[in-house]
Amino acid sequence: MSAVDDAVETPREATEASEELRRLRMMMLIRRFEERTYQEYTRPGQRIGGFCHLYSGQEAIAVGVAAVFQKGRDRLINGYRDHGHALALGMDPKAAMAELFGRAAGCSRGKGGSMHFFDAANGNMGGHGIVGGQIPLGIGIAFALKYLNTGGVCFTLFGDGAVNQGTHNESLNLASLLKLPCVFIVENNGVAMGTQVGRHSAARDLVHRGCGYEMPARGFDGNDLDVVIAEVRQAADRARAGEGPSYLVANTYRFRGHSMSDPLKYRTREEAERARQRDPILLYQRRLWAKGTLNAEVLEQIEKEVAELVNAAVQFADQAPHPDLSELYTDVLAERYPLVKPASPADAAGRAAGAGGA
Amino acid sequence: MPVIQFREALRQAMIEEMERDETVFLMGEEVGEYNGAYKVSEGMLARFGPRRVIDTPISEAAFAGLGIGAAMCGLRPIIEFMSWSFSLVCFDQLVNNAANIRYMSGGQFKLPVVFRGGNGLAHQLGATHSHRVDALYSRVPGLVVVAPSTPYDAKGLLKTAIRCDDPVIFLESEVMLSDRGEVPEGEYTLPIGVADIKRPGRDVTLICWSKMVKLCLKAAGELETMGISAEVVDVRTLRPLDLDTLTGSVRRTHRCVVVDEDWPYCGMGAGIIERLYHAVFDDLDAPIGRVCCEDVPVPYNHHLEQAMQPSVEKVVAAVRQVCYV
Repeated sequence: MSAVDDAVETPREATEASEELRRLRMMMLIRRFEERTYQEYTRPGQRIGGFCHLYSGQEAIAVGVAAVFQKGRDRLINGYRDHGHALALGMDPKAAMAELFGRAAGCSRGKGGSMHFFDAANGNMGGHGIVGGQIPLGIGIAFALKYLNTGGVCFTLFGDGAVNQGTHNESLNLASLLKLPCVFIVENNGVAMGTQVGRHSAARDLVHRGCGYEMPARGFDGNDLDVVIAEVRQAADRARAGEGPSYLVANTYRFRGHSMSDPLKYRTREEAERARQRDPILLYQRRLWAKGTLNAEVLEQIEKEVAELVNAAVQFADQAPHPDLSELYTDVLAERYPLVKPASPADAAGRAAGAGGA
Repeated sequence: MPVIQFREALRQAMIEEMERDETVFLMGEEVGEYNGAYKVSEGMLARFGPRRVIDTPISEAAFAGLGIGAAMCGLRPIIEFMSWSFSLVCFDQLVNNAANIRYMSGGQFKLPVVFRGGNGLAHQLGATHSHRVDALYSRVPGLVVVAPSTPYDAKGLLKTAIRCDDPVIFLESEVMLSDRGEVPEGEYTLPIGVADIKRPGRDVTLICWSKMVKLCLKAAGELETMGISAEVVDVRTLRPLDLDTLTGSVRRTHRCVVVDEDWPYCGMGAGIIERLYHAVFDDLDAPIGRVCCEDVPVPYNHHLEQAMQPSVEKVVAAVRQVCYV
């Protein structure tokens, strides 16, 4: 039994407290996972390749969305800073680390890498490598959820850099026209790679970038988990009620560079120090401490658990086999060619019935 | 057998598939209330309603991406581009998303989406509206590219494309939409990935697709009067290429001319010729000939535009060259 389940007393408070501790634990797991990824990436004999973007500092957003996310019903899609969301939606840290190591046991079978974590079973429609390229996909997923009358919502996440892409304008407009159940969430960490918001967006307040589309546009503290949950829930409820999309700007800060090679020269030590005071994990720990949900013993236990999970993930990834070279040509296409689809009226009913999708 | 227009064949295919499968929908610019920029979707809004025939703003990246996202969830979108030239503004959606998602997710998703519309030169549309995207998409693993030449092929291939679990780039042509041809009543489908010999011949193989097929059939008629028997092979599917049918023909005729509307350098014809050479080098009696567009942007002026593209005369001349007559 984990620390999360131990620290409970009466049934109702117990549920709430264990939920809170679960969320804290997930934020801490993500942080631990990312910091370990940093170490593994920079270690001699590097086993993680390519571009790698860490989520440290932004955990409250992924965990806040996951708290509202209805598994089996909702979908999430986001950009390339995607490790945290994958874990928050339930991906096994082993599958996540194995993907970073490029192994066949990875969440994308070693073919996606850091920027392309996919997890269909958990409703995760992927991390996507081109800034803003996933926003039109997000509205398409929302379209399908509505078309199939599922009551589901697509949470479409992107960074502040993406608001300047054409896909951003196009998707917001079309989503609102079609009243799609889509919640757009800007993870505004203040800098698009190395270009601060003030240098990349004519409107400094990114909420303004979601105006003009006849949908609610709201900004809030993306480091406060409870605020994130409340805001995302409100937008999701609206989408589920058939009232269309919302635009949320979650203001946050990333502790690490854009990617592993970023020397962070565009930041002052003072700025980073101030941001550390607003670490979403620290804020949440203080809150739970004040409520009596958290104490030193429980915190220590959670720390131990997430450390063990991450250690086990690295160990697993290290020992997992690389994809067989025959995998090079698998998963390119779903069909075999020449493709014959005989005309048989009988299969129509079957196809319609099986149209739930991934 | 009923004789119908190319656009009617496309429409029949879409209507039949939408009737047999609730997950199929049509989306694009002017497909609904306007009844289609080229009247391909005429009457479909009235028939299926706005839930399944959906007008979009002029916003290719949004609605192309929407189609891909919807396909990831099990729907079968038909996304109409008013012109394939306009797909250049959403190239990222097709090349990075439609083509890659299955592979980079380790096979977790199918992408059963069809993108269709007019491709290539029409009548004096100028450089921006006359792009041939054949090679742009045929070089991308993860995509399927189909380019029919007759109403019969168009209907049978579009029906298969809609049922296909992979993203299909379906290339039509504005100037072919009023072409008429025999199309049987009732259900039929045609295989994707199979070329078709449109006219058998002995002396030379003309390899072509889409509207170049009609041009090559005309050229074959002229060549007949000169005593040259030309076989016209309609590639029909540009990716995956049915190399066997192409090489089978060239092995019989020993001479070959590839006729396409693309630019010469790194064009579709160039890609096909490269594959042919490796397969049939020892069977050839002459280097493979090629007729394609001139290496310039597409001009507006009618005479310049005509001079820019393949013609019956150019095909006849190329055939005479490979036949050494």
